[in-house]
Amino acid sequence: MPLSGCTGVQSALDPAGEEAAAIYRLLLVMVVGGTLIWCAVVGLLLHASQRRNAPWSERTAGRLIVWGGVAFPLVVLLALLAYAVWLMPSIRPWLARHAPAPETIEVTGEQFWWRIRYPARDGLPAFETANELRLLVGERVAFSLKAADVIHSFWIPVLGGKMDMIPGRTNTLSLSPTKTGIFRAPCTEFCGTSHTLMAFSVIVMEPADYIAWRRAQAAGDVPGGGEGEQLFARHGCAGCHGVRGVTGPATLGPDLTFFGQRQTVGAGTLANTKENVARFIRDPAAWKPGAKMPAFDMLPSKDIAAISDYLVGLK
Amino acid sequence: MRLIPKDVESLWTLFTAPTIWALHFLVCYVTAAVFCAKAGAPPFSFEAMRLALCAVTLVALSGIVLSAYLAWRQWGFGSGDPPHDEPTRKDRLLFQGFATLLLAGLSFVAVIFVAVPLAFIEACQP
Amino acid sequence: MTGTVETELSADARKAQEAELREVWRTPSGWCYWTSVNNTEIGLWYGAAAFIFMLFAGVLALLVRVQLAVPGNDFLSADMFNQAFTLHGTVMMFLFAVPIFEAVAIFLLPSMLGARELPFPRLSAFGFWSFALGGVFVCGSIFFGAAPNTGWFMYPPLATDKEYSGIGADIWLLGLSFIEVASIAAAVELIVGIMKCRAPGMRINMMPLFAWYLLIVAGMILFAFPPLIAGDILFEMERMFDWPFFDAARGGDPLLWQHLFWIFGHPEVYIIFLPAIALMAMIVPTFSQRPIVGYSWIVLAAVGTGFLSFGLWVHHMFTTGLPQISLAFFSAASEAVAIPTGVQIFVFIATMLAGRVIFSVPMLFGAGGLAIFIIGGLTGVMVALVPFDWQAHDTYFIVAHLHYVLIGGMLFPIVAGIYYYYPLLDARKLSDRLGKIAFWLMFVGFNVAFFPMHLAGLRGMPRRVFTYPADIGWDWFNLISTIGAFIFASGVALVVIDVLRPKHRQPKGEQNPWNSGTLEWISEPEEKWGVRSIPIIRSRYPIWDQRGLIEDIKAGRFYLPDAKDGARETLVTSVLDAEPIQCLRVGGTSLLTILAAFSLGGVFIALTFHWWITTIVCASATLAAIVAWLWTGTAVIPREEMRDVGLGKTLPLYTSGPGSVGWWAMFITMAGDGTAYASLMFGYFFYWTIHEDFTAGHAGPGVLWPFTAAGLFTLAWAAMLVAQWVNEADWRGLTRLALAVAVLLTLAACCAGLAGPYLTGMDPTVHVYPAIVWVVALWTVVHGGVGIIMQLYCLARNLAGRMSARHDMDLRNVVLYWHFLVITAITSFGVLGLFPGLR
Repeated sequence: MPLSGCTGVQSALDPAGEEAAAIYRLLLVMVVGGTLIWCAVVGLLLHASQRRNAPWSERTAGRLIVWGGVAFPLVVLLALLAYAVWLMPSIRPWLARHAPAPETIEVTGEQFWWRIRYPARDGLPAFETANELRLLVGERVAFSLKAADVIHSFWIPVLGGKMDMIPGRTNTLSLSPTKTGIFRAPCTEFCGTSHTLMAFSVIVMEPADYIAWRRAQAAGDVPGGGEGEQLFARHGCAGCHGVRGVTGPATLGPDLTFFGQRQTVGAGTLANTKENVARFIRDPAAWKPGAKMPAFDMLPSKDIAAISDYLVGLK
Repeated sequence: MRLIPKDVESLWTLFTAPTIWALHFLVCYVTAAVFCAKAGAPPFSFEAMRLALCAVTLVALSGIVLSAYLAWRQWGFGSGDPPHDEPTRKDRLLFQGFATLLLAGLSFVAVIFVAVPLAFIEACQP
Repeated sequence: MTGTVETELSADARKAQEAELREVWRTPSGWCYWTSVNNTEIGLWYGAAAFIFMLFAGVLALLVRVQLAVPGNDFLSADMFNQAFTLHGTVMMFLFAVPIFEAVAIFLLPSMLGARELPFPRLSAFGFWSFALGGVFVCGSIFFGAAPNTGWFMYPPLATDKEYSGIGADIWLLGLSFIEVASIAAAVELIVGIMKCRAPGMRINMMPLFAWYLLIVAGMILFAFPPLIAGDILFEMERMFDWPFFDAARGGDPLLWQHLFWIFGHPEVYIIFLPAIALMAMIVPTFSQRPIVGYSWIVLAAVGTGFLSFGLWVHHMFTTGLPQISLAFFSAASEAVAIPTGVQIFVFIATMLAGRVIFSVPMLFGAGGLAIFIIGGLTGVMVALVPFDWQAHDTYFIVAHLHYVLIGGMLFPIVAGIYYYYPLLDARKLSDRLGKIAFWLMFVGFNVAFFPMHLAGLRGMPRRVFTYPADIGWDWFNLISTIGAFIFASGVALVVIDVLRPKHRQPKGEQNPWNSGTLEWISEPEEKWGVRSIPIIRSRYPIWDQRGLIEDIKAGRFYLPDAKDGARETLVTSVLDAEPIQCLRVGGTSLLTILAAFSLGGVFIALTFHWWITTIVCASATLAAIVAWLWTGTAVIPREEMRDVGLGKTLPLYTSGPGSVGWWAMFITMAGDGTAYASLMFGYFFYWTIHEDFTAGHAGPGVLWPFTAAGLFTLAWAAMLVAQWVNEADWRGLTRLALAVAVLLTLAACCAGLAGPYLTGMDPTVHVYPAIVWVVALWTVVHGGVGIIMQLYCLARNLAGRMSARHDMDLRNVVLYWHFLVITAITSFGVLGLFPGLR
């Protein structure tokens, strides 16, 4: 199964955001401390396993319980707890008091893809996209997280921790990217057969590129009237998938505007190549079991090829 | 009539301090959860809630200190050392006193742990 | 101790006593073997069944590991993979980890406490058969591709989606509810056994630490399992009848399930861990050749952990978007629980330092387990911190953490326990050589399998993925993990081989091969009577400290050396000082328990497939079997009031009220029942907190009918008090009258209870408010129905002359039930009637 992973880093150990960096520091502190404690306790255990001629007195052994089992853990745990609780509001600040108020992008988890809605900003209109998130480096951004069907979880490991998407609830998360780059973000709450194949790409950009991208996204693709474009409409693809500027709005499946720019097809299932797009159209469930999109293997191969060409060409 | 037999009643003293911890924990959690869930029109501010919970913490801590004092008394004010393993009623009482005292200590610490968030967190936000 | 023995029996008289005892405690042969209720048989079957389930779940884990060995693998389909990991978790938790401790406890406790039996042997048997049947049902589902596939935590709405989860979710809910019933039965048995059936003189400062731990754990089961049962009820109502408890579109909330599941789920971890540590607390002193250092500290740790573990559940929900302040409270409690855990580890180390350690195979497994467990504990401290959990949650880091905790903290000590206690089964030791090889295979294999998962998780690998891309940096970790898993499995296989290999050529060893100090080592594998005579205990380690104890016990120089009346008997003692207060006759071999368990199993299985008629037939059969069991086997009026138990002591054979074990069992059961009820009420108020107006404009049940119901339940309760009072005064006719009035009042109360929601036309499928009102009303009315059965039972006992002014145990237990019921009824109907208007 040629799964795609070439869509960027997905590791909490390579932080590219404020929250992830703060948690990484916390992790380092704990790993060093934990290693020392483990070595000390296991060393003591090994020492205790030796047969010795003069056993400790009961009193001394009792003192070991008091100091090693109570006093030391008490102090260490209290310090660690205070550090972590202090860290919570500092990495996830109160948005109501945050100035300037961060932009809020709405992300909805659906089986098994991500609907993404950008709000209007600086004279740029709002628009919808899917499975690929582009963010501005150095700016805190908030996410309004929802679920359409079952519980999903939103996690960009390089930027920070995760937040669940729960039907009936709207959760908020804010993140602050500090480095540009392409990253990968998986769904982290088991959400059904293809939970595994539900990821999105995150591209953190410099301001100029970002503004240009948003302007283009809002405007949409330019109709070219090619064969693929016509087939896309004729075979009913446009019934579920919208291509802004070309088809009417369609909301059942992921929006495909500028699909050619995306890293993957099928929300992280396959690399975005012509061949993979064709494979996916022919039988989505073969690559992504449980996917809601029906198989189109009754279409002539050349039609599928034309549609794939068209989609990959939407850049 | 008696719902709980007498000999068990004195076993309950062992559980007094942890029960105070449990009540304190529940009061803190439920108050904060209901306050934040019903934050639409709160009758008082988050600050006021934090102060109230700090007061509850002090009450809980004094309850635990009291239970610790009673346990200490039962333990004969530390006159005898553990292990309290003689087959006598006296040693059984000393054991109960000592175990209760230890539990009071643990509960005291645990209440302080649970109060730590009150010092750092200032709003309902997730 | 021979000072208290006045006369020495002749050898012949002793032989005669032994023959009597042997006859009374005889295990039936042939097919009837399976009707045995003796704790050694039940414990063994229970343990063997749990172990088999563990091996089955282990094979599932290996399948999972094979699938993940290389990226893009298609060894298992996505759906099969999802079934495999769900069943692996479910079986390990519900069919192995909890039952194995119940098995060990049922097997060991009686002799450890110096008792012949636990107080309710038939209940143990009932629990075992329920467990075995439920377990086979749940495990078997995977062979039909119908296993649950939504993760062992069953989060709605995925698990309430019938199209996705099919029948698997019902199998999970109903199969496990059935097993939970068995667990609660075991908890009742163990609590009463530990508190009331200890040998005379075994005051609470003398109790073996294993018993202390088990007492706490059984108490935890009593408060942890009922919330899950309440959750199961809500869940099954949604799946079967479309009551929208977790459906956000109709006012429900998926988070309520998460709360109820984890209120169970986190204490569960400690319910698993504490008994394993309890085994360590028996093993370490033996091999350190000295009493434990810090007995009181262990009691502190056990009780402290028991309490704190109920304040941790939200740490499984740190990413659900709850307010930070709530998360932080739970984080704090999760850190605090590390302190009692640390105390336990240091108690063992201190005991070893203060003793002269003999390092044998059980110690090897114990120490290896501790080394592993400490890593799990340290990562536990890490993930209990909210910020780190935001990153680590639902990644392979957690998979690594939980296996370090459970395998280090539970499986290794269990294997240590197998090597340690095997001589109690067979009077032979297991092989030292095989044990050492098995240990190193398991220890190395485990670390090779699970350590890389920490790194895979931190590098972003989520849990529950059936495959992963090749170029993301997880390939090596996963391949190494898979290799390690097979090394580990070979170690487990070696343990199984060691246990099963024929040993008849190996000579039988001595009775107490490790020279342990605790009482379980007095039991003889060939004899079924538990202890030859019930000793007087004067030490925490009686075999070490009480000279001649074993000879005196075997010579029948203590209590109950005979079985004159042909009944199975044990002593009941007082809770704190263990003074003998009663000679208890316990149930013997019986087919009724199997019938009850299998017909109850039939109810749950028929419900899964919506076979309503079968359900009703099985439910009636269950009721009949249980009534027959109670009628013939409990509260039997003895021919003589008193029994000479030896050593010049005469004890009553019949007690009722708080002095009797039956009263205790009722009290404890109702505490668990009350917890389930409290969980339902938690649901009611939970919906109030999450909605602006939780009634969503739907009409409530009104005030009139709920109040009528509450009033009638109170009157019925009063009638029961009158019945008990006139029965004590020996007015038989009036007792009957009072009982009959109580039946009628209860019947009327039940009707009034249902009339509220029914007459106001509340439709439970429309919105969650009518649904939760109906559930609360139904819960109360069903309890009223059970109350009626109990009242009728008392009436029948009275008419049959099986109850009298002196012998009123049944009536008193039923009145105790009614105390709980009247509190339930007043709360339910008070809240249903008043709360919508008050808020």
